[in-house]
Order: sequence, then C-alpha cells, then structure tokens
Amino acid sequence: MKDSLGKFINENREEFDSQVPPESVWNKIETALPKASKQIFWNSVTFWRAAALILFGLSAYLVVSKNYSRPNKQEIAEIQGFNDLETYYSSQISEKMDMVHRYQTSTGLTEDEITQNMKKLEAMYLVLKDEMKRRPSQDVRDALVLNLLVRIDLINQQLNKLDKPEVGKLADKKIQS
Amino acid sequence: MDYQAHHNIDSLIVRCREGDKEAYHQLYKLYSRAMYNVGYRIVNNADEAKDVLQDAFISAFNSLETYRGDAAFGAWLKRIVVNKAINLVRRRKFERMPETAGFDVKEEETVDELEGYPFTVEKVRKAIEQLPDGYRVVLSMYLLEGYDHSEIGEILGITESTSKSQFNRSKKKLKEILEGGLL
Repeated sequence: MKDSLGKFINENREEFDSQVPPESVWNKIETALPKASKQIFWNSVTFWRAAALILFGLSAYLVVSKNYSRPNKQEIAEIQGFNDLETYYSSQISEKMDMVHRYQTSTGLTEDEITQNMKKLEAMYLVLKDEMKRRPSQDVRDALVLNLLVRIDLINQQLNKLDKPEVGKLADKKIQS
Repeated sequence: MDYQAHHNIDSLIVRCREGDKEAYHQLYKLYSRAMYNVGYRIVNNADEAKDVLQDAFISAFNSLETYRGDAAFGAWLKRIVVNKAINLVRRRKFERMPETAGFDVKEEETVDELEGYPFTVEKVRKAIEQLPDGYRVVLSMYLLEGYDHSEIGEILGITESTSKSQFNRSKKKLKEILEGGLL
C-alpha cells in the first residue's frame, strides 16, 4: 500500500515536535528530585569496599603496632627468608585454586562460602603485605604465614567436599532428619 | 543518536544516580521538548500535556535505579510519557476500542486515498488534533512515535488487528477532515 501521509510525516518528522513545554515544568520537577543521593552513597559498593579496607588496615595496624619495635638483625634475616615461604605457599594456593575453579565449572557449582572467605583472606593478606613492606617485623611475618596456611587448609577442605558431593548431601539429609 | 551522544547520556545517568542536580537538568533539557510533544499528541491539550511531562519526568528520575540500560534511555522515557498520557485520556472516558470480530478479518487492500494531497505540517497536525481520542492515539503512536501495531496493542490493551483496523479508520477520518475543509 502506498502511504503518502506516512511518507510525508517521516520526511518532516522533526517539525511535528513544534510545541514547546512551559518553563515552569522544570521548577516543579526540580522540587521533586530524588533525595536519595546520601542513601545511594551508603549503599554503594565503593563505600563498602573502602570501609572494609580501612577496617582491615586498622586491624593490621593495631596488631602490629602493639609490640612494635625496630627489627633487629636476626629478624631482618628471618623476614628475608619469608620471601621463599611466600613463593612456595602462593604457588600451592594458585595450583589448588585452579583445581577448585575447574571442578566448579565442570559441575556447574557457583561460588560458596569457602570461596568467599578465600577472597576476604586474600584481601587481608594484601593489607598485611603492605605493612610488611613499610614496617617489617616478626609479628607481621607470622600473620602472613598464618594467612597462607589457613587459605591452603580452606582449599583442601573445599577440594575434599567437591570430591565427595554425595557424602556431603547424605550428611546434610541426616542432619535435617 | 551516535555513539558519543549515547555515551554522554550514560554518563549523565550515572551522575544523576550520584545525586547531581545539574545532570538531571541536562537530561530534562535534552528530552523535554520531544516528550512534551509525545504527551501533547495523546492528550490533545496543553495543560494536560504539561502535567504529563511533569509526572513522567518525576517518575523517571525517581526510578532511574530501575533503568537497566537495555533499551535506549529515550525509548524508556517515552514509554513512561505514553503510559501517563494514556492513563489521563482514559480517566476522561477514553472511547473504548471496538473489539468486534470484523476487525480480525484480513486487512483490506487500502488504496492511497491521500495521494497527491498538498500536505503541510500545520494542516496535518491540526487534522490529527481534530480526530476523536481513540483514532488520534493509535494514529499518532503508529505514524509519529514509531510503535508497531503489536506494541500499540500491548500498550492499549487491545489486539494487534484491532490496532490495525483502528489505524485504517483513523486515516479515513483524517482524509475527511483534510479534504472536507474542516480545518
């Protein structure tokens, strides 16, 4: 069907928007603008990320500064030995985490509490590591090693759980009944 | 709208969500005229079109969190304006769209009844304003707002074929107005 009206309107579409809204409309809209900016800020991910980092940083600082003293020669030697430990444990963690991810992808499982805890521990580790660079001490070194060991332990638990899903389900059922 | 314009609108929306008043004003300035005309064509009255524009922007700005960016912002906003305007027309006893079986018959092969007519924007605009509510809404939504008949059906709560039939009738009526010297 030929449609000369439709064609005419298409060709002159912009001219059909000839009415101009009264100035007063904006004034009313302005008075009703959402006052949610504060709420949005408190709910924002950025805010909570920053808050978590400050909290971790503060905790690390309090732990470290409690027994803070300048490191002696022996401590410096121990701290240097930490780099080897870190390399070893980090490679273990990354290897085992790869296994966990592969397992989760192949079984269609999503992240659970353990993987979330892993992420929290990793964030805490970065804060402690920073502290280690700025003010190396035996306490921070111990905290870093402990963090690595706890993460390895968590991954092992996760791998065991993924390895025996049926056992886990059965145990859950028993608990429920 | 090009990529840059889309990008600018996206960044304005982000600023609005952060509570930036100037960003709200910028968005308003970008869309108010087009949206006012969309509302005006449906309600056919300057005062009501003003209310529709106001209500629609207030609703849109207060629901920006729910705008997910999967449709263009202009299309999302236009849908709010159209819904507000139609509700207003309905409140003043919008003529019920006829739902008779006759409307489901195959579309008549309509000849172009207005071929060669010396259209002007002003004449067409005035003729559309003289159409009864039910005709004007469907014709405007199809020819000017760019909705197809299935979308019009969904918005108005009628079937697609009813929208098509109503559109054909509204064009015939428009022809009578344009040719009958009723302007």
